Amino acid sequence: MSWAVVFFLTLGVAGQRLLGMFVAGPVLAKRPALRSVADLLPAAVVAAVILQLTVTTKGALTVDARLIGLAVAGVLVWRRAPLILVVLAAAAVTGLFRLLT
Amino acid sequence: MTLDGVKRSDLATLAFTFFALGVTVSAAMVERGVSSGVTLAGAVFILSATSQLAHLAVTDAGGSEIVGVLSGSLVATRFGLMAMSLSTRYEGSTLERAAAAVVSFDPNVALAMQEKTPEAVRRTFWWAIGSMLFGWILGTGVGLSLGDVMGDGGAWGLDAVFPAALLAIIGGLLRRRDGMLAALVGAGLCLALLPIAPGGVPILASALGAIVAALWSRQ
Repeated sequence: MSWAVVFFLTLGVAGQRLLGMFVAGPVLAKRPALRSVADLLPAAVVAAVILQLTVTTKGALTVDARLIGLAVAGVLVWRRAPLILVVLAAAAVTGLFRLLT
Repeated sequence: MTLDGVKRSDLATLAFTFFALGVTVSAAMVERGVSSGVTLAGAVFILSATSQLAHLAVTDAGGSEIVGVLSGSLVATRFGLMAMSLSTRYEGSTLERAAAAVVSFDPNVALAMQEKTPEAVRRTFWWAIGSMLFGWILGTGVGLSLGDVMGDGGAWGLDAVFPAALLAIIGGLLRRRDGMLAALVGAGLCLALLPIAPGGVPILASALGAIVAALWSRQ
């Protein structure tokens, strides 16, 4: 991450928020089909980000302790555990597994 | 115990949640050798942990900075949607509405939308975002100092923290059948493309999962 990245990400994120407030609000509200695609975008894209963070190392597919940490996180999210617990448990399990293997 | 109509326990939970997220993101930056100034500026100006993590995911995979910024912006679509929902209920001057839009997150908008009067919507919105930003900036500071102490995050399981936090953030969507379908198709596409496509492309392609799930749920 660099200053340029901070600048352009700020533009990209704040721009979408302002578009949502002043442009998309009146327009999109009348189109339920488009709205549901937009509604589901975070699930699809964030799931891909999670997958890539979990099973790749510098671009190559790898299976390691991170997968176990994510599985534990999955169970905790499903049981509606608070974020702090999900995060700490995933880190602890992954760290412990590395320590033991 | 309420504070101006907002539950104090809710505000404390929000502050704590964003504290954890702040630590997570800034520790990830420090681990990758990003300077304290850039990390702090990123926390204060980008105001989207998901975007920062998505950018990291792309560049870690060897993707270009441009694709990283595109992916980071793409995952922030939901904040545009949050601002969009808020626009129907938030009354105020154009400048005030713009300020509210820029700090629209899932929790503060969701809480504010449950209020009945325009006055209560505004009050709840700003109390919630105040607590969240307090935790977020504090967490960023702690992460900046902890990141150095932690050194190699792998030994602490730090690399498992980001995916876990993201999973919790989309947890609400995953409880819906269409949300789960979108996630599975998006992740599946990403996995299929990872070995063959250039860095960042698998993340961008995962957006198709949302279209597939939306078409499926219309039937």
